[in-house]
This record gives sequence, structure tokens and C-alpha cells, in this order.
Amino acid sequence: MNTWVRIVRRREFTVFILIVILSIIFAVSTDRFLSISNISNLLSQLAGVAIAAIGMTMVIITGGIDVSVGSTLGLACVVSGSLLMIQAPFLLVLLATLGTGLAVGLLNGVIVAYGRVPPIITTLGMMNMVRALVFQALGGRWISGIPPEVRTIGLGKWLQIPLAMWVAGALIVVFSYFLSYRPLGRSVYAVGNNPEAARVSGVNLKTTLLFVYGLTGALAGFAGLINVGRTGIVQTNNGMGFELDVIAAVVLGGTSILGGRGTIVGSLLGALLVAIIKNGMILLNIPALTEGVIIGALIIISVLIDLVRGRGVR
Amino acid sequence: MRNIWDTVISNRVLFLSLLFVILFVFFSFTIPGFFNLYNLSNMTQYGVELGLLALAEALVILSGGGGIDLSVGSMMSLVSILMGVLIGRAGWSPVFAVPLGILAGMGMGLFNGILVSLGRILPLIVTLAGLYMYRSLALIIAVDPQFGPNPMPVSTFPESFYFVGQYRVGGIPFQVLFIFLPVLLIFHFLLSRTTWGRQLYGVGSNETAAVFSGINLKKVRLTVYTLSGILSALAAWVITSRIASARPDVGTGYELQAITIAVLGGISIQGGEGTVGGVLLAVAIITMINNGLQLAGIHQIWQLGALGAVLVGSVLLNQFLIQRRKI
Repeated sequence: MNTWVRIVRRREFTVFILIVILSIIFAVSTDRFLSISNISNLLSQLAGVAIAAIGMTMVIITGGIDVSVGSTLGLACVVSGSLLMIQAPFLLVLLATLGTGLAVGLLNGVIVAYGRVPPIITTLGMMNMVRALVFQALGGRWISGIPPEVRTIGLGKWLQIPLAMWVAGALIVVFSYFLSYRPLGRSVYAVGNNPEAARVSGVNLKTTLLFVYGLTGALAGFAGLINVGRTGIVQTNNGMGFELDVIAAVVLGGTSILGGRGTIVGSLLGALLVAIIKNGMILLNIPALTEGVIIGALIIISVLIDLVRGRGVR
Repeated sequence: MRNIWDTVISNRVLFLSLLFVILFVFFSFTIPGFFNLYNLSNMTQYGVELGLLALAEALVILSGGGGIDLSVGSMMSLVSILMGVLIGRAGWSPVFAVPLGILAGMGMGLFNGILVSLGRILPLIVTLAGLYMYRSLALIIAVDPQFGPNPMPVSTFPESFYFVGQYRVGGIPFQVLFIFLPVLLIFHFLLSRTTWGRQLYGVGSNETAAVFSGINLKKVRLTVYTLSGILSALAAWVITSRIASARPDVGTGYELQAITIAVLGGISIQGGEGTVGGVLLAVAIITMINNGLQLAGIHQIWQLGALGAVLVGSVLLNQFLIQRRKI
């Protein structure tokens, strides 16, 4: 009985119920929502946000935030796009893309952990600097015409489900396990709950911070590779506003912005909810312009629901 | 000598003043066309919108409790297109449309403030939601059914609308003299000379102590978010008049620049620390860098890049100094 009450009271459950209700509404009111091509399309758009949200969840659990993921994704798009154009081996493309993201992320981590600069400041500055770099690298031009045969990571499917979503799923399982059962994973929560207590009980604060920011950068880079694979185009504004989508997914999924609480599965559900709303609105011919009103209202409503139940956001 | 240097870098206003002078001299000697009266007075108008938004951000961050307003850019967009639609499409006189636009900004700020102070939801969440909602509303308002379902900018204004953003008084842009400077002076006075100002610093630096000394926490926070909305609306009025066009996406990205400038100006992200003077200096420096880079023919994306580097660098330096002082 008690376990049931605990599950029902969680934010993940609220979001899950919302997903179910909306899916039923869309399935009844349109005939395309449940079609295989639509679901596969929805999932391939979801994958990038879901992957970056893994890292963002951890960053926010430590009490931080990373608004530079959109620019990191943009830079990774440039790197992977250029390499795919010259038909470089996939392993090289993958390593270069992850490496690019990791480098940006680690730089964030070093400034936050060793420089003690607040995360919002660090990543805000990084966002602008990396975006300038993206612009410089592209020189105002596009990279387009990347051949489909090297875009498997974005276009490929297995059992009708996009390859990128399989990867996202695997990463979510691995990192959920990691966060719950490995010492470094537990220290992510410890740092967010009480940094001083964590330090005294032997948690290495700096290592933990380097790890979460580095991971977030690498995963944002990977999301960039998927993006290039899916669209085949690299533009200067790739990933602009991506950081807000990822943060919205994590916040909707119940991760406390004050740190110390949250799950990766919650963030996946948050991302799925947003993706379903966007998709359903297109199918129902509701102008995409109203999307922001709905996502914004949902963020506030879901937090208010928690408040009314007396759980609080604090 | 070492002592003088220490004072300069640990006092933000002094440090920024010095940086301003150094950059000014450097640009004057290296960039042709920088040091002449026309460019110098012309340059000031570009700092007004950003300056108003940075001031809004400064007030909100000062109030503490994780205070931040991510929605200033979206509020600016919404007010801009609202004024544009009322004047350009519905044929209203600016005399009515502008006050209504400012009122709309106030309403949005009040909504944020209610959720933050009475709803007790964290500012980052409230204003992130605000960013989405107001931006989306701006796009919806911008749709002109006559021309299909897409949002359209409005550029048909009567001549009388342009005085704010395009006229000059004694060689100085109107909006600098009659909007930006008065607003700065008012807020400088409010923050340093009134009870309200002291309460704001009190709430920002130590919430618990402030509550125990009888300060109405909720009222103070409600006020700053509302003021943020009003200042964003003022910025919208100025920019719409200056570029002679109301665009539903005019404020995109401004929130991050505004935060950057507030923090560079010495507003502590933890709240309760910083001055209007510091913010003014930061606005001046950034506007000057933008102008200098533009005259030197460097693309504006590098202005953003430079802004990022200056932000992280200045806070890093600050933290380094705090560390050293402790030892």
C-alpha cells in the first residue's frame, strides 16, 4: 500500500498520466497519431533532447545548470558535418563529436569546480563563446548535401524504431543504474543536497562536478551528431534554444532546480510529454505558435500540482 | 603600489571605470571613425534597450532567493508587437497604444511576481515558463489573417511614433536623455536613499533576517518582478520606434545579454549586492565594445563571444580575489 502511495505521489507519475491522457485524446481525434510512421518520427525528434537531458538532469541535481548545451550541439554539428562530408570512418566521426562536446563540458566543469564561478554565469558565457566559434567555423555558410548512406545514426531504424532512440534508451538505462547504485552517482545527489556534508563525508566535490559537466557536454555533442544525421544540414543556428527544451524536459520531469532530487526517467517522461504535445498539435492543425503557451503553462501547472499536494518545490 | 592595484580590482565600480577608460583610449587610437562627436553620441542610443533590460535583471537578481528573469526578452517582443498591431493595423493613436503596451508589460511582470512570491515557485522555473508563453503569445498576436497564418512584422507607423527612438535633442538621442538617464537616476535614488531600497538589499542578502526585522518579503519580490515587466515594456517602446518596425521576435536572446551585463556590473548572482552605477558602467563598456568591433568590421557574433569571455573572466577574477583575501 505504502509503495503505491509513494509512486502515485511522484512527479513522474503525474507526467506519465498526462502523457496517457494526451495520447488517448490525440489517438481518438486523429487517425495518424498511432501510425507507425508518426510514432517513429516523434521518437527520432525526441532522441536528441532525451540524450542531452541525461546530463542536464545530473547537472541540475548537483544544484547547477548548463545553458551552453545548445551551442555545444551546434559546434558538434559543425565537426560531425564536416567529417561526414569527407566520408570519414564512423568511429572517427563519433569520437571527434563526443570529444568536442566533452572538451566544452570539461571547460565548464573546470571553471565551475576550480574557479568557483556560479554555473549559470559560466555556461552563459560559454554559450556565447561557443556560438561565436560555430559562426567562425561556418563563415555564414551552410553544410548541406551530406550523403544519406553515412547518416545511419539519424535515419536508421531497427524494428521500426529509430536507431537514435535505441541508443537513447540504452544510455538512460545505464546512467539511471549508475546514478542509483554507483558511488560517483550517489555523490551527484550528495553534492546537490548538502555540499559541505558531502565534502566532509569524503565525496570529491571537484571530481563530481567535472564529471557531470563533462558528461553533459559529451551527450550534447552526441545529440548534435544525431541532428546532422537526421537533417543532413549544418547551419549557424543549429541548437539555438535547444537548452531551453532540455531544461524544460528536466524541470517537468520533477528534478528540483535547487538540487538533490530528480531522476533521468522523469526527464525522459518530461521530454516525451513535450514531444507528444508538439506532434499532436501538428496533427490537429493547431498553429504551432501556441506551442509555447502550452509548454509554459504545463511547467507552471505541474509545479503547482506538487505544491497543492504539499510536497513543495523546495 | 600593490595596495592601489588591490583596491582597483576589488572595487567593481573602480575596476569598470578603469576598464572603460583603457578601452576608450585604445579604440580611439586604433579604430578610425571611433573618436568623433557624431559616433560617440550616436553610439549611446544602442545601449538604451539593453540598459533598460539589464536594469530590470539587476533588480530581480538583487532581490535574492534565486532571483532571475528569463522572460525579459519575450516580454519585450510581446509589447513591441502589441504596440505595432494596435498602431499599425488597428489604427490606434500611439498616445493610447504605448500606455497600453506598458500596462501589458506590467501585467506580465506582475504575473511572474505573483507566482514567485505568493505561489512560492522558483524564479528560474516561473520565468522560463514566462519566456515560452510570452514569446508564443507575441507570435500569435503578430498573425495577420489577411496574409495567411504566419506571424508578420508591422512597419506602418505614423511619423509621431518615431520621436522616441530617432529624434535628437542637442545632438543627444532622445531616448538617452528622456528615458534612460531619468530611469537610471530614479532607480539609483530608490536603491540608495529610500526604505524600499534598503529593504531590497536586506531581502537579497539575508532573507531570514529581513523577515524577522519586519520586511514584507512577498511585497518586495512582487514589486521587483512587476518593475522588470515595466522596464521591458519601456525597452520595447524604444526599440520599436528606433528600428521603425514591430517584430514578434525582437527580444530573442536579449535575456541572456541582460543577465550578462547585470552580473558584469557587479550584481552578485546570490542577491543583495551591487549598484545601479556598476550596471551603467557595464552597459557603457559593452555598447562601446560593440560599436568598436562594428567599426573595425568584425562580425557581430564576435560581440556576443567577447561578451561571454568578459563575463566569465570578470567573475573568475572576482572569485580569485575573494579566495586570496581569505588567505
